[in-house]
Amino acid sequence: MTIPTPIPMLNLIEIHKFYDRLEVLKGVSMEVKKGELVTFVGPSGCGKTTLLRIIGGFTNLDSGEVILDGQRIDHLPPNLRDTRICFQNYALFPHMTVADNIGYGLKIKKWKKNKIQERVEELLKLVQLEGLGSRMIDKLSGGQQQRVALARALSLEPKVLLLDEPLSNLDANLRLTMRGEIRKLQERLKITTIFVTHDQFEAMSISDRIVVMKEGVIQQVGSPIEIYERPSNEFIASFVGFVNFLEGVVERVDIGLNKATASTPIGVVQFVPERNINVGEKVKLVIRPETIQISQSEPTGMNNIFQGEVEIGMYVGSLAKYTVMINGEKFIIDQPNPRETFFKPKEKVYLSIPENIHLLIKTEIHQ
Amino acid sequence: MAKAESYSVPQSNVWERLKTFINAELINILAAILFLLLAIFLLYPILAVLIKSIRDPQGLTFAYYLKFFTKGYYFQSLQNTLLLGFINTVICLVVGFCLAYLTTRGPLVLRKPLKIISMMPLIAPPYLFAISLIILFGRNGILTKAFALNWSIYGFTGVVVAQTLAFIPLAYLMIENTLMSLNPNLEESAYDLGASEGRIIRTITIPLLTPGILKAGLLVFVMTIAEFGNAAILGGRTPFLAPDTYTMIIGEADFEMGSVLSVILIIPCIIIFFLHNYLLTGKKFTTIGGKPVASEPRKMTPLVKIPFLVIGFTAVFAIFISFGVVLMASFTKILGVKNEIVFSHILNFDSNRAIYNSIQVSLIAALIGAIIGTLLAYVIVRGKFFGRTFIEMVSLSGFALPGTVIGIGYLLAFNTPPFKLTGGIMILALNCVFRFLAVGVEAGISKLHQINIEIEEASSDLGANFMTTFYKIILPIMFPAFIAGFIYTFMTAIVSLSAVVFLVSPGFELAAVKIFDAAVYGEIGLASATTMKLVAIVVLCMMILNYLTKKTGFDITQKKGV
Amino acid sequence: MKEKLVLSIFVSVFLAVLMGGQVYAQTVKAYMGTSPENNVKIVNFVKEKTGIQILQTFQSFGEIEAKVKSEAPNFNADIIVGCGSPLAFMAKKNKWSVPYDSPNWKGVAPEFIDSDKNWFNIANFSFVLVGNRDKLKEKGYTMPKSWKELTDPKWKDQIVMPSPLSSGTANMIRYAFLALYGEEQGWNFLAALDKNIHHYTRSGNAPTDLVGRGEFLLGITSDENVKKRIDEGYPLLWSIPEEGIGYDGTFALILSGTKMMDACKKIIDVLGTQAFSDMMAGIGYMTPRPAPNALYGKTTPKYIKLDLGWAAENRPKWNDIWKEKFRTEFK
Repeated sequence: MTIPTPIPMLNLIEIHKFYDRLEVLKGVSMEVKKGELVTFVGPSGCGKTTLLRIIGGFTNLDSGEVILDGQRIDHLPPNLRDTRICFQNYALFPHMTVADNIGYGLKIKKWKKNKIQERVEELLKLVQLEGLGSRMIDKLSGGQQQRVALARALSLEPKVLLLDEPLSNLDANLRLTMRGEIRKLQERLKITTIFVTHDQFEAMSISDRIVVMKEGVIQQVGSPIEIYERPSNEFIASFVGFVNFLEGVVERVDIGLNKATASTPIGVVQFVPERNINVGEKVKLVIRPETIQISQSEPTGMNNIFQGEVEIGMYVGSLAKYTVMINGEKFIIDQPNPRETFFKPKEKVYLSIPENIHLLIKTEIHQ
Repeated sequence: MAKAESYSVPQSNVWERLKTFINAELINILAAILFLLLAIFLLYPILAVLIKSIRDPQGLTFAYYLKFFTKGYYFQSLQNTLLLGFINTVICLVVGFCLAYLTTRGPLVLRKPLKIISMMPLIAPPYLFAISLIILFGRNGILTKAFALNWSIYGFTGVVVAQTLAFIPLAYLMIENTLMSLNPNLEESAYDLGASEGRIIRTITIPLLTPGILKAGLLVFVMTIAEFGNAAILGGRTPFLAPDTYTMIIGEADFEMGSVLSVILIIPCIIIFFLHNYLLTGKKFTTIGGKPVASEPRKMTPLVKIPFLVIGFTAVFAIFISFGVVLMASFTKILGVKNEIVFSHILNFDSNRAIYNSIQVSLIAALIGAIIGTLLAYVIVRGKFFGRTFIEMVSLSGFALPGTVIGIGYLLAFNTPPFKLTGGIMILALNCVFRFLAVGVEAGISKLHQINIEIEEASSDLGANFMTTFYKIILPIMFPAFIAGFIYTFMTAIVSLSAVVFLVSPGFELAAVKIFDAAVYGEIGLASATTMKLVAIVVLCMMILNYLTKKTGFDITQKKGV
Repeated sequence: MKEKLVLSIFVSVFLAVLMGGQVYAQTVKAYMGTSPENNVKIVNFVKEKTGIQILQTFQSFGEIEAKVKSEAPNFNADIIVGCGSPLAFMAKKNKWSVPYDSPNWKGVAPEFIDSDKNWFNIANFSFVLVGNRDKLKEKGYTMPKSWKELTDPKWKDQIVMPSPLSSGTANMIRYAFLALYGEEQGWNFLAALDKNIHHYTRSGNAPTDLVGRGEFLLGITSDENVKKRIDEGYPLLWSIPEEGIGYDGTFALILSGTKMMDACKKIIDVLGTQAFSDMMAGIGYMTPRPAPNALYGKTTPKYIKLDLGWAAENRPKWNDIWKEKFRTEFK
């Protein structure tokens, strides 16, 4: 007997999709829990939008299953699925008013006129557009249009809300605001949401879980912290934020102390192994720029201290970004709160690399 | 490069000053020249028709109009014409929409073949369908005999069928163009919100296509009531204004009554033109970030798919069969009488000169038309002079002017000195230039709206004078519009009959007129063979043009701004 | 620059197309109103004998008349080879034609040449009744023996004839009936006939083809193509009804203002030769210089007595009456 696990809201099983002979989805499987906000992120052409369109029913899959709340839906047209999509360009009907746009789906469901009106008012309030119901679409700002699109998608209380790059048409500041609002709204309504974006920072800041995709394959699924701190391959590591890679060969492993050393082009580096490794194994160390400490004098009582020379220094206020050469290897370093200690090019500096370095466990997945 | 000296030495010679003046005022000078051309070659001929209709040797008179409105015959003719225009427009729009929907939203395998066949009539003279109807449904027609049919094609219904088939591609092309640029997400959104396909078409697709559909309707209406080939061949004794005008001018030299009929013919067109402009104001829907995307093939619901396919296939089948029988007739000795395969029709070279003239005229017209169209578009969009809107309206009015009327206008306006142009090739070319100008102008305007004026200002800022800016910046950007104007003018000019039929003269006859004569005369074999030769040449020309434009990186099939 | 390449190709194609046109040594522009095929025959004959290339458009007699009237006095052609008597007489009266005393036209009967040498009648033609042999047999009908029989209701919508507004043949047909029955009775006959006419064609030869192809049972048509169509295999029957047939000339004249006077004169010269008459008679025309006729053989058909000059005078009036009568009511 197994303990019954809660049925996921959305279950994707082995989804394959071809365009002509090009396979754009190569057997994608994953689950989305009820009330969760999951982000599909990846470079353009990775298949994230196609996957979203498959869930929404706009693109047919070639094989695999889409299961929504325990029901298989991949054979259903979009109008018979309990998913609602918000397109990148909002796709608001330009020949209708805001209220007509939001009430479009309700009218199709044959709601009574006054009920529709009530619901539209409610939704307008929800997206903070009270009183704009009678406006035409082209009289709205970009942010307002985004809200209308959201309200329209929410009008029928879908089981899953699909958002296709919803913020990409907004300017930077509005984007940040809307990002927060969408997340707040999603948490308040506890609506299962899939969010597609190519912006990794957007993904990091908004999601419960992130699905990183590349060339039609899921590279990693995890919380933003997992993705950032423990990327499973080089692609993910460099996709989410800046990263220094350091290749080396394991020299010594001390299981008792949980320590190991590896010889690298900059010298011997000590690190805490996250998994079982063997002497002689090739490893790739992932060192985030902000984890490296930079100082003028040599720090004492610490391992992994290396001397280098500043090549480029950029002062950004809250931090300083450096390129430092050690033994011909280039390192990117973020120094928080630099103030008076900002280093100039050609200055000699000491770098202190932390011991709890992440190791890549596998390389990219191709199929 | 800018002449720095002109600043340091302001009192240089007259030539320098003139040059500076021209450079500064070039756009206004250009506008003046273009307006003069429009006035001479578009407004003056129409005016000439109007004047002719209200003048007799004694002076101003309305006697001819009185005659028109008191004779039942003319009234009947007007009624038939309007009814024909109306029925045809409706059918063409419905069929055009179904076909456009199928080729942009329907099953992938069907898209290309449907598109190609739907566009075939564009490259043939419109009265090809009169010929094919006679071959199939004439009293001795193939189908009439095979099924003992009792359908008389000589009359109203025959003309309707032929004209519909001839102008389906026009409606199709325009609607397809707007459908292509319609953001597919809009329909998908409606689908997503629970709408059925039928409901999407009703509440989203068609309302959003209104501008394109209106435009297509206007064009089809004007073409239907003006192109008289089908009506002249199949009309029998059913009167229509355009062929009547033709008979009056060509057969009886009754220019006064012919002018009256022309003016009457032009009235509904102008009304529709203004109505269309009025309806369009405020209806140009813009969508954010909506690039033209070919939407993904979706599973069309049978409720929509079946009727669309039935309508689409019927039309496409009829077009295909029409071309088929005409091809067959061009290799048959006497179709329906002596069904022997012969090559004598194809090898009859009497029409070669006419075909050659047609190509020559169409090429000249296309080149001049494309140049004037591009310049006009530029002047309209960037100029800041009084009367800009007027110029725009005049240059776009070509959409609404029946060919017959312009033809007669040219005959009246350019038959006597100082503008004696009849009896030459230029009058044919100029006529085509100004009749088909609208497409190039419109494509140019929409292209120019896409580019920011700042690019030009940046260029001027860098010291380039107007000519350099125009040559280096504007021309390359407008090249697709130039090509669109060129191709549209070429294709339409080479098969059009309604205007040029009044202007041909010995040595300057055209293939379209020659085929019409042969068809009217009853020589179906010769008419068919000449049609097929013309079609082959048009296809060849299009292929060469396509190749050349592709070489330069412009895909004409995409940039056709019709 | 790719655009420059394209541009240069365009330009060269243009030049090629533009230059290619004028290759003939001596060209004369002509309005020619015989059937398209016969026009070509005449053009080829002239070219063979004189080396002069005639550029022509096909038009009906009526259309040429309209064209010349509307262009006068700035004609877009140098010469007319084939128009009806109304235009020939009108041109002489208005001095649109240039007299020329051609040596080759000496000794021709007066009905074939103007006394003042303004017009030259290159061939007389007539109209005949044609029927479709197969279709008539199918219906069990025989060819009518007289014109009167055509008003029988059984022919309703089965007869085609040309329109006198555009066709010279039809002008001749109309006048012949008016001459035969007298003006009043003539119009009554035309009205009765009109009830059976399916439609009036633009050109005088069109009924021959339409009936030949089986579109209609009977046609009143110009005789110039009948022989040729029968030879080609059309199931055509032709007859001269007992009342007889009318005739008109096919006139040639030099238009005033021509810059090609010498060439025009050469053409007129050639048209007066025995060889030309032989060719035209071979088609089925009655020619200025006697030659064996292909259609009628040695017999001369029975002609209705006509006065072409008087007919030409009355043409505008008759056109008005015709329009009034046959255009205003519709079925």
